[in-house]
Formats: sequence, structure tokens, C-alpha cells
Amino acid sequence: MATDTDTARIEGFGEVSRVRGIVFEYLSLGASVLGIFALAVLLIYVTIDAFDLAGTSPVWLLTYFVTLVVPFLAFCLYSARDREVTRRAVTVSGGGLVAVAAVFTAIETFVGQIPRLNWQLAYLFVVVAPLTGYLVYVGARGRPGAVGFGLVGRLIGGTAIGLAFSVLFLVFDERLWFLAYTIGIVPAALVYGYGRVRDVSVASAAAIPIAVLGVLVAVLLRPVVDVYPTTVFIYLWTLAIPIAAAGALLVNGRGNRTAALVAGGVPLALAVVIGLFGRAAGLGVGGPNALLVISVAGVPTAVYLHRVFDVGEGVTGLGVPVLLVGGALVGAFVVETFGIPTPNPWVSETFLTEAPSRNARDAGLYPAIVGSVIIIAMVAVFSFVLGVATSVFLEEYTADSGVIGALTRLLQINIANLAAVPSVVYGLLGLGLFANLLGFGFGTAVTVSLTLSLLILPITIISAQEAIRSVPDDLRRGSDAMGATRWQTTKNVVLPEAFPGILTGTILALGRAIGETAPLIMVGAATTVFSAPSSLFSKFSAMPMQIYAWANFPQEEFRYGVVAAGVITLLIILIGMNGTAILLRNRAERGT
Amino acid sequence: MTDSTESPDLQRRSGLTRLKEGTYGGLFAACAAITLLTTVAIIVTLLSDAVAFFSQVPITEFLTSTSWSPNPRGGGQTFGIVALVIGTLTVTITAAFVALPVGTLTAIYLSEYATSNARSILKPLLEILAGIPTVVYGYFALVYITPALKATLFPEMSTFNALSASLMVGIMTIPMVSSISEDAMSAVPDDLRQAGYGLGATKFEVSTGIVVPASISGIASSYILAVSRAIGETMIVVVAMGAQARMPTVGETVLGIPFINPADVLLDSGMTITVAMVQIAGGDLTGGTIPYDAMFALGLTLFVVTLVMNVLSDIIAERYREEY
Repeated sequence: MATDTDTARIEGFGEVSRVRGIVFEYLSLGASVLGIFALAVLLIYVTIDAFDLAGTSPVWLLTYFVTLVVPFLAFCLYSARDREVTRRAVTVSGGGLVAVAAVFTAIETFVGQIPRLNWQLAYLFVVVAPLTGYLVYVGARGRPGAVGFGLVGRLIGGTAIGLAFSVLFLVFDERLWFLAYTIGIVPAALVYGYGRVRDVSVASAAAIPIAVLGVLVAVLLRPVVDVYPTTVFIYLWTLAIPIAAAGALLVNGRGNRTAALVAGGVPLALAVVIGLFGRAAGLGVGGPNALLVISVAGVPTAVYLHRVFDVGEGVTGLGVPVLLVGGALVGAFVVETFGIPTPNPWVSETFLTEAPSRNARDAGLYPAIVGSVIIIAMVAVFSFVLGVATSVFLEEYTADSGVIGALTRLLQINIANLAAVPSVVYGLLGLGLFANLLGFGFGTAVTVSLTLSLLILPITIISAQEAIRSVPDDLRRGSDAMGATRWQTTKNVVLPEAFPGILTGTILALGRAIGETAPLIMVGAATTVFSAPSSLFSKFSAMPMQIYAWANFPQEEFRYGVVAAGVITLLIILIGMNGTAILLRNRAERGT
Repeated sequence: MTDSTESPDLQRRSGLTRLKEGTYGGLFAACAAITLLTTVAIIVTLLSDAVAFFSQVPITEFLTSTSWSPNPRGGGQTFGIVALVIGTLTVTITAAFVALPVGTLTAIYLSEYATSNARSILKPLLEILAGIPTVVYGYFALVYITPALKATLFPEMSTFNALSASLMVGIMTIPMVSSISEDAMSAVPDDLRQAGYGLGATKFEVSTGIVVPASISGIASSYILAVSRAIGETMIVVVAMGAQARMPTVGETVLGIPFINPADVLLDSGMTITVAMVQIAGGDLTGGTIPYDAMFALGLTLFVVTLVMNVLSDIIAERYREEY
């Protein structure tokens, strides 16, 4: 008589334990943040060590907090134009100060001293840093914020790319580049441009053969010709002028000839003046690299400025660099005048520009940075070309059934498995195949970058495939219906649509390559080199290799100083790369 | 050009076009073939030197000997993988104790409890854990974790030890477990959850009693992948665990069951398969010597083990997936 059973009499029916559920929810929340929390603590400590913040006087921190951080946060709030956000920011920064100080004092009195941390630093990392991140995020959605951060991003990014170029020319022969550019690329570009303007398809088609032919001739001529302009003029002719011309064309495309001349001409003139006469005038900067960096950073900045003034919104945002530089200068001035003791950070100019040394204070990362830049540049080229070609083949050129279908599935499974092969095994492949069998040498740039390219190839392919797959099929069918061949559809429709996604995936994969160490050890890369490499076949080191070498040093100054500085440098470069990748993705998502 | 409209050439497939199409198709196929060639090259490279190694050192000795000393200077070389396997197992099991429960709970939280806002913040942050270079983790373990543990929990810990290395390996593999498991849990259809609520189940009961069992194949496959990643992990252990191939002392409990004191293994230095490879590579790299070949034999072991685990994880994910 089941129906007769009185439900109320069954033990526990309708009584639900809430405690269990709540405990479980908070347990799983705790688990989610456990790893992040652990990493955050470690990162805070490594930052404190690298910048020598542990011994910093609170007055020094306060000075820069007032001159640099507060104005910047105020700008973000101004850009956000949201009372609610402002109220929240003030509450968090004020309440956070009290809370952190109270909690910290409580811990120190009842539990014990926390090593190398005081409440001022804790406030800085626990409250100010996340708050700054949040306010930058909110501020960037306002017009002035977007403009300001865009400008700062172009300045910093342009400088970084310019420096990377100048590093590449340490290894690549700039004279060969000069010949190849003059004989191959310039004529090809002229022919292509002519073909486009006059609508002569033969001329456009001939551009690539002309370029290839020209480069070949240049390679042949290089040992014969031995009169070259100086490096400054080579950079000016082959890089600064074309970049300025491209910038001017871009501005011209928006309709204003005078603005175009200014946008291209002013950075170029600045670069030339400082490049040629900077040293002589006692500016402290000058020479070919200054010319390169100024033109690579200056032209995009000028183009951006033109656009901002053209649109006419958020022009106040252009003050951000002034705000930051000014704040730093005022801070430095105050520190100088009142004789406030300054910390002695391990990440310093010496660290970035000097060779490694037995003496901790003289030790530098320069040769390793150069090695990493060159390796990453080569890996980028290899893995991008191979990755895009493979993913295009897998997504556009294969069938689902038959022999080709089976082959595609095999390739797909193979790629998935390759992605999971331990990196140290790739190191053995590089050692056996590239270093020994093909004779590229132990630990040379060629061996290392080929090995790393194969290592990140599966990741690049998988992300590129996703990007290509996300291109709507309607676009392909539309192109097919216009009579386009498969290659034309791929080239004109699929790749341009998928390009941001592919680029994002490639940059993220490069981030993996820049931190890889095990394969480098296996192929015999040097742990420490004392001078920057001079050719592709000289012995290379890289940032993670140098960190690995230093981590073995037992001295305190290395453990808690030099290595921390190396780690911070590596992480900052990584964050820069990944941040760029994420920005690209967000922009592409907003665009579609 | 007007007369050409009379018989329009809709195809416009001239010989040149066809040649161009063929060339591009061929080029792409060649690039795709490189991935296949990579696998072949890995296998051939590993096999050729491993075969040379096994012609010098019998495979039985390699698999059963408990002493590893690939002394490159010659004299007293022994190549027994057992001590290395014990080192690798120590790291893998300890890391699994961190990564598997934490990763699973994270996945449950992300898929069942988190608001979409919290998820959009937590997921990228978790991905950062997997993106930090492993040599940096190794440095953290050596310079921060070990002194902290030494000062608080284990005063007798040595500078290089398996515990802090394993903890870092565990933290690094959390996102692997959490992201794949969360994908599996999110794929469980909402009907099942609603049915559970309809029967009067609480959120806790739905999460643990319905969602987790329904996505168990995905969770299991994520576990295997994470363990395989931990086995192949190199730099963390190289930096933080030291390089001493040791056999733990096997004690006997009351009933005569062999017993290894975990503290004995965890608090002291040890050597994994990957560390042994790096140690040889860090010395003199001259081809043809036995230690050089031994490196490839170890690499082959590692490759085979991780490959088997990956294939296994694929099979589990595919075959035991519940279709709804």
C-alpha cells in the first residue's frame, strides 16, 4: 500500500542539508583560486626581490604613489566618467588601506613576522595593483582612456619592435639586406604598384619573380661588391624611408596630403637628425639604432595622432604619456631634493645591457636577450608559414571521405599527439636530426629555432585551424559562385577573415617557445655566453637558459637578486606578447 | 572585348590557372606532410640511437638494474632505469594529489556554480598557470617554496627535494585538468540537471551525483593527460629536485609488506627520467658514446609512455562518452 504511506513520517524527507552544499561550494571556489593565489604570492615575492622593494623606505613608495599612481588613476576615473566607479575606487583604496594595515599588524603580533614584506608593500600588491588593473580596464572603455592607452601602447610597442630589429641586424648581414632590398624588393614593389595603378595584371604577377630574382642576384653580388654606405644610411634607405612612406600613404588614403607629409616626414626627420647628430650633440642617444627605433616607433604614433585629431574625440587622452613621464620626473625630483633613500633594483639598465658576470651587481642578461629575440624571430617565420599552410590544407583542400579523408584524419590525430609529446623529446629530435645528422651544429640559432618551430607547430596549426573554421561558409560559397578557384577563395576570402585569429594563435604559441628550456639544453645551447652572437651559427644562449644557469648559483645575491630580475624580464616580455595577442583577438571580435 | 560575350568562358580555367592551383595545393600538402615527417623523424631518431644503446647494454639490465650512473668519463657505468622510474613516479603521484582534486573541484565550480562574470575572470587566470615558463616554476620551487616548507613544516628537508618540485608540477597541471573536465561537464545537457532538481535533489547532489558521473569519461581523459604532462615535465624537476638517482630504503611492516616511507623520498633529492636526460646533455655532447645513446633510450621510454597515455585518453574520451 504505497499510497498509504504518509510522507511526513519518512525520516528526513524534505529536510535538506544546506551546510553540505554551502561547504562544497566554497570548497570548490577555494580550489579554483588556490593555484592562482599561490602563483600570485610567488609573483609578488619575485617582484619584491627583483626591484629590491623589501628594503625600500615607505617615504619613497609614498612619493611615487602620489606623483605617479594617483594622477594615473585619476585619469582612468576621468575617462570612465562613472560616479559609481569613482565611489567604488575611493572606497576600495581607502578601506583597503585600513584593512591591510589592520590584518597585517594582527598577523605580525599574533603569528609572526612575514619575511620581506611590510604593510605598505602588501597594500601596494593586494589593493593598488588589482585596482589599477580594474581602472585601466574601465578607463579604456571611455574615449580619452582608449586614446591614451593606444598612444602609450604604440610608443612602447614601436620601441620594442625597433629594438628587436636592431638586435636582428647583429646577426643578419645588413649589407646583404641592403643589396637585396635595392635590387629585389624596390623594383618588385614598383612593378607591383604600377600594375595596380594602371591595372596591368601581368605587372602584378611579375612582382614576385622579380623580387626572387633580385634577392638571388644580391646574394651573388654580396661577396663581389665591397663598397657600401654606412649602417645609418642603410637603415635610412631600407627601413626608415619605406616605413615613413607607408605611414604617409595611409594618412593620404584618408584624404589629406599635407597631413600625410607631416605624419611621414616629421618622424623621419626626427629619426634622421637624432640618428646622425644625436651623439655629436651630446644627447646620449644616436647612431643607426636610434634612427631605427625612432622611425619604427614614431611613424605609427604619428599616424595614430592624425587619426585621433581627425576624429576629434578623447584628445585629452594624448596627455597620458606626459602624465606618466612627468609624474616619474617629479617623483625623481622630490626624492633627489629631500634625499629620500632609493632602492637599488636588480632589473636595471646594467642588467639589460651587460654580459653575465660572476659578480652579481655586474651581471647582465644582454646576450641571452639577443639570443631569445633572434630565435623567436626565426621561430615566428617558420611556424607561421608552416602552420598556416598546413591548416589551410587541412581545412580547405581535403575531403571528408575516401583516401584523402583517411589521410586527413591520420594527420589530425598525428598533430594532436605531437602536441602532447614532452618538449625534452623534441630536444632529442633536434639533437639527433638538426645538430648531428644535418650538421647545423650544437646550440646554434638554426638548430634551436628549427627545434622550437617543430615544438610549437602543433599548437600553431590547431589554433590556425580554429580561426579558419570560424570563417562562415557563406563567404566561401559566395566566392565560389563568382567563379573563384579554390586558391583564390582561400587567398581573397578565407585568409583575410581568419588572419587576426591566426596571428593571435601564433603569438600565444611563440609565448610558449620563448620560455622553453629543456629542448635548448638537449640541443646543446650555451647556458652562458659572454658576448652577443654574431652569426646564425655561433653559440647561442636564451633567457630561460641563463635563468637556469643562474638558478644553480648558491650565492644569495644571485638567488634572490639576479635570477629574480631575469624571471621578471622574461615574464614582462611574455605578458607583452600575450597581451598583444589578446588585444588583437578582442579587436577582431569587435570588428565582426 | 564585346564579342567574347557571345560564348562566355565561364570556367576560365586556362592551363596556367590549373598549374597555379596544382602548385599551391601541392605546397600546402607538402607543409602538412612535415607534421607527419616530424613524428617519423622522432621515432627514427630515438630508435636508431636507442638500438645502438641496447646493443651495448642489455635491455633486461636497463629495465631491472637499480643503479643509474652514466659516468661519461668511463668506468663503472651502470644504466638501470628503476631508480629513475621511482623518481618520476614520486613526482607524478605527488603532483596528481594536488592537480586532480583541485582541478576537478575547479571544473565543478566553473561549470556549475560560477556566474558567467566569475567564469570570464577565472578562466583566463587559470590559463596563466599553464603559460608560465616551467623554468620559472622550478626557480620558485627552489628559492621560495623549499625555504618556506623548511621553515615551517619540514625542518629536515634538503635544499633539492622532490616535494616542492612536485607541488609546482601539480599547480602547473591544474588548468589541464580543469579546462578539459569543465568542457566535459558543460557538455552535459541541462535536461539532466533539471530532472535532478525535479526529483528534489540539491545543487550539491546534482553536481556530484549527476554532472560528474555523466562527464566521467572527459574527467578521466583529462586526468590521464595531466599525468602524462607531469611525467614529461623537465625544468621544474631539473632546477628544484636535484640530480641524485636514489633507491629509497624499503622497510618492512608487520605483515612483511614492503613499505617505503614517503618522507624519505619526498624530502630528499631524487632523479627523474627527464633529469637524467638533461644531466647527460648538460655534460659533453659527443655522439656515439654510451651515455649519449642512453639519453635516446630514455627519450624513447618517455615518448612511448606519454604516447600510450595520450592514445588511452583519446580512446576513453571517445568510447565512453555518453551521447545525449
